[in-house]
Amino acid sequence: MLAKSVLDGDAVLRTERLCKNFGGVVATDNVSLSVRSGEIHCLIGPNGAGKTTLVHQLSGTVRADSGSITFDGRDVTRLSAHERVLRGLARSYQITSIFRDFSVLENIALAVQARTGSSFRFWQPQAAETGLFDEARRIAARVGLREREAVRAASLSHGEQRQLEVGLAIATQPLLLLLDEPMAGMGPEESDRLIPLIHELKGEHSILLIEHDMDAVFRLADRISVLVSGRLIASGTPEQIRANDEVRRAYLGDEAAP
Amino acid sequence: MKTSAIRRAILPAAALAAAVALPLVAVPLGLDYYVGFASRVMIYAIAATSLNLILGYGGMVSFGHAAFFGTGAYVVGIGMLYGLHSAWLAWPLAMAVSALVALGIGAVSLRTRGVYFIMITLAFAQMMFYVIVGLKAYGGEEGLNLPHRSVIGLGVNLKSDEAFYYVVLALLALTLFLLRRLIDARFGQVIRGIKENETRMETIGFATYRYKLACFVIAGAVCGLAGALMANQTQYVNPNLLHWVVSGDLMIMVILGGLAHRYGGLLGAIVMLSMDEAISPYTSYSKLYIGAVLLAVVLFAPGGIAGWFAGARARTRAAAAKTATDIP
Repeated sequence: MLAKSVLDGDAVLRTERLCKNFGGVVATDNVSLSVRSGEIHCLIGPNGAGKTTLVHQLSGTVRADSGSITFDGRDVTRLSAHERVLRGLARSYQITSIFRDFSVLENIALAVQARTGSSFRFWQPQAAETGLFDEARRIAARVGLREREAVRAASLSHGEQRQLEVGLAIATQPLLLLLDEPMAGMGPEESDRLIPLIHELKGEHSILLIEHDMDAVFRLADRISVLVSGRLIASGTPEQIRANDEVRRAYLGDEAAP
Repeated sequence: MKTSAIRRAILPAAALAAAVALPLVAVPLGLDYYVGFASRVMIYAIAATSLNLILGYGGMVSFGHAAFFGTGAYVVGIGMLYGLHSAWLAWPLAMAVSALVALGIGAVSLRTRGVYFIMITLAFAQMMFYVIVGLKAYGGEEGLNLPHRSVIGLGVNLKSDEAFYYVVLALLALTLFLLRRLIDARFGQVIRGIKENETRMETIGFATYRYKLACFVIAGAVCGLAGALMANQTQYVNPNLLHWVVSGDLMIMVILGGLAHRYGGLLGAIVMLSMDEAISPYTSYSKLYIGAVLLAVVLFAPGGIAGWFAGARARTRAAAAKTATDIP
């Protein structure tokens, strides 16, 4: 299986030979991958392979050195992070990045606020915007935080904070969700709750999912891409990936026999 | 109104009543000096409150806030040289010019963060300080005397310290009220979110730079008003109004009073200036004692005086709840 970009007509996200160096270290080495509309595409690879760096470039937090990123048919390579969000590209973070001093509801309401009208409003209290908070409540329930909606984010358990991470991402109503190890640090029961949620989200969003948990990956993925040392070494269906020798050697090990 | 809202309004309402009563009590007792002193405190409260907006709520550590204070003062002072006496024109003009200066300084400074931001804002303010010192036409180092206070009309003469006091009080109350609305509004929530986690704000779709700049300009304009009032209070403007020591004083007031608390600027101004006033007659080391208090606050009550009181209220409520459940 060669790492060639798949030129689909319905690719919601496509990168073309994306490169990023940090000093002498090649973090992203000519990565060309695509995410098809409506699919869950898993990105796997060993630690240090450059998965999060790739996500940073896709979300706009880091500027790629060369190559292009096409989202929803348009070139977004030079677009700022917040512009990409407004176009429908949202992400969640591997290391939880939420608003710790705000309640769950206030966290999500902020994300909803970003896409519903101007925030250069100086007079009306934001807390009185029932539309905003109804929507936030709905999303909190979606990610399983309805009972905890009034709790300060810093007081949530780790698993609940990860749920809030996902909630913040979907609150922007994105076309594509970049989920960076959403289950990081979660125990088996907590992961078991998040997996069906991600599967549910598939209908409404395309998803690029970075995960280490192979069980989750093979349960969720429509397609899988494998990143090793910044290079895409394989891309295909779960069966194709499982059978791929190079992938087995670099990452899966021989236990993952079909 | 809910009982909790009424309870929370008692202390500020009482404070306002006391402030209104102050001249009526002080003057007959021959304590007119304190009317002027209180005016000074309130003017600094307005300036400190404007700094609290960007520093306390917005997390932007600006070490150049004095630039706006001095700008506002000089607009009034220089204005009088050119025949601009009306407060209705000079004070809004002071705010507008300060806003423009804030726009210029902010547009450049807000591209940076952390230590760089602190240093750049400091540098800009010092630049302005030296420019004004060099303006011999407007007094240079000696400063500029104002022949009289700004003219308000409406049968009120600001020459009277009591009349001036009430004007300042009204403007302080208005500033605190508008700040409260701004913080509770969408804009305020964005500013608070930016202080909490700016990167996340960007990745949920906010152009954070624009909001920070707008906040910076608003704070600059309000501080410019404080400067205009200061020029009136002392009837004298001097480049030292723009010196970084003034920026430092304002920062101390905000930290002492309570970062990100709506009365933080006011409480800080009251405590710092009152301590200075009380201690100065006995020793020239009043700053030493203020420094000790500041150190104590930073170490033991980082929320400032306002934060400490809010914490104390929460602690007594929690203790009361606990004893209620302890009773068998």
